[in-house]
Amino acid sequence: MSEKKSLWKIITGSREVSLLLVLIVLCAIVQILSPSFLTIKSIMDMLKNNSVIMIMSTGMLGVLLLGGIDISIASTLAFSGMTVGMLLKYDIIHNAFLLFLIAMAIGAACGCLIGLVISRGGVLPIIATMGFMYIYRGFAYLIGNSQWASAENLGDFKNFALNKTLGLGLLNNVIVIVLICYVIFFIVMKWTRLGRKVYAVGSNPEAAAVSGIHTANIKLIVYTIMGMLAGLGGALAVAVYSSAQPNMLYGREMDVIASCVIGGVSTTGGRGTVVGTLLGSLILAVIAKALPLVGIDALAQNTVKGVIILAVIILNVVTQRMMDRNNLKGREM
Amino acid sequence: MAGKSGRTLSITQESSWKKAVFSWEGILILLFIAVNILCICISPNYNLKNVLREMPKYLTEVFLLLPMAYLLLLGEIDISVGASVCLSATMACMACNAGLPFPLVLLVGLAVGTLCGAVNGFILTRFTELPPMIVTLGTQIVFRGIAEITLGSGGSISLTNTKQFHAMAGKIGPVPYMFFVVILAAAIYMVVLGKTTFGRRVYAIGSNSLASYYAGIHVQKIRFFVFTLAGFMAGVSAIFLTSVLYGANTTTGNGFEMDAIAMAVFGGISTAGGKGKLLGAIISAFTIICLRIGLGQINMNPQVILVILGALLVLAVLLPNLAKKARSMGIMAKAA
Repeated sequence: MSEKKSLWKIITGSREVSLLLVLIVLCAIVQILSPSFLTIKSIMDMLKNNSVIMIMSTGMLGVLLLGGIDISIASTLAFSGMTVGMLLKYDIIHNAFLLFLIAMAIGAACGCLIGLVISRGGVLPIIATMGFMYIYRGFAYLIGNSQWASAENLGDFKNFALNKTLGLGLLNNVIVIVLICYVIFFIVMKWTRLGRKVYAVGSNPEAAAVSGIHTANIKLIVYTIMGMLAGLGGALAVAVYSSAQPNMLYGREMDVIASCVIGGVSTTGGRGTVVGTLLGSLILAVIAKALPLVGIDALAQNTVKGVIILAVIILNVVTQRMMDRNNLKGREM
Repeated sequence: MAGKSGRTLSITQESSWKKAVFSWEGILILLFIAVNILCICISPNYNLKNVLREMPKYLTEVFLLLPMAYLLLLGEIDISVGASVCLSATMACMACNAGLPFPLVLLVGLAVGTLCGAVNGFILTRFTELPPMIVTLGTQIVFRGIAEITLGSGGSISLTNTKQFHAMAGKIGPVPYMFFVVILAAAIYMVVLGKTTFGRRVYAIGSNSLASYYAGIHVQKIRFFVFTLAGFMAGVSAIFLTSVLYGANTTTGNGFEMDAIAMAVFGGISTAGGKGKLLGAIISAFTIICLRIGLGQINMNPQVILVILGALLVLAVLLPNLAKKARSMGIMAKAA
């Protein structure tokens, strides 16, 4: 009995463990309904198709930890992705590495501008990023003159998403990049000064400022990193979907925010972990992958996805309330 | 330097006309005039008649702006209204094509919108820890998803009988009916916000919801009501939109929520709650509408218009902030 109770406590006591449980249960249900789900190929496909969202989720974690939000990322992604597409289409640059660098630089510049407006101009994140959402989406259309780059324009670049050179022949390049991002973020958030400062600023900006942290600079850095990851996502999206369109991933910034929130990141700042974000984005990826496998009509998929997102965040609140009550009870005894 | 508590540290009392001109509303009126002059200069077709003819399409967003301003004043946000418009318009079209009498069609549209708003309000008042941004993000996906299911594989529906909706889009002289409805709705919203206890309570909750709760205001009831109101207005907007488009599809109302928020913020309403006036939001709405019509008339690329609107939105918030910063630095320098 006592062992059972302690197990229950472990599950309800840590958000990551309960998320992992949700993920396992979800996978089990899908596997029972559709045996073709848990194969290496299908999982790799799933990771590849969600790589862009997963990468941007790490950046969004930083932004949400500061108590901010960034809804311009899909536009930044489209802008950098279209730049890559146009450079390839008009035969200017073919080197994949150089193209990735350019995409990231564009993203970083976009993010830096947003960061300046937010940290130096004192504009609320939602307003600033909403404005830039329009601006960068407009740029994405303008840079390609409202044209788009199809698979044959992209040449060898689209092979990047098929090759396994970075993964030493075992893992797809795209998945390797996702892994690298998560490992770097895990280390930075847990063991470096910058990571701890982000948490400090997010949980109490005034206290952080008084204790000598330059809060404005931390904000600037976080938004720049977010932009850089969105830029990287742009180049990746071009490779994975083998086309560059100005309306790329329109509205998908909401998926990024949703995967963070499902992963237990608080939108008021200061709370959330890299592992939680990873689990959150995996849960969202599994849901998206599983719905057609389970035989839910393509038309109903968005509805089911929305309902599941709502259910998960409400469940989060309910478990949090239960945890608080349990803690209080523990104190009484 | 009005803090969130509402205390002000004004150094000198400015004269009233100066206050009127230099208030945000005054600047907006000047901007409105400037935009109109600009449009007249760049487009030979920019006259009252043409503007009124093209206006209905944009006016539907003003219906969403009004409750959105209330929500922002409360410190809330609702990004599901665009999807609510889509769902209400879809349902109203369905009802109309099914041969229901016209008043019932209108009722269906309004009821669906109100229900959408009530769902938001219910979740947010039941689970107060949840941020409105995230919840309405979820319901947005659900509402639009339901519309997608209803519309089926075609993804669009058009009215088979447009007679009554056509009559609704009629005009008195050159002025469309919708214009009068918008003005009437705006007037009601302004009076309620400025002159009733309800309006004062909205401001009170926006500045400090906990203090308002201790002062005996039913915070959750008011939040629920305003979210439901946003849904109702989405229904109104959907009906008028149907009278312009004679149909609905899965992308109906896409981005309406962002346009409504942008208009409100441009009008000086703070998204942190408790600050701003509805008058400013309405002036800014008409400024943006006129700019869009004018730039549309000279066949400017719609994407360039997007860039201009985005830049305007950022600058509208950025410039006053920078000016304030510079002024406070000046005061500090004087004190030192």
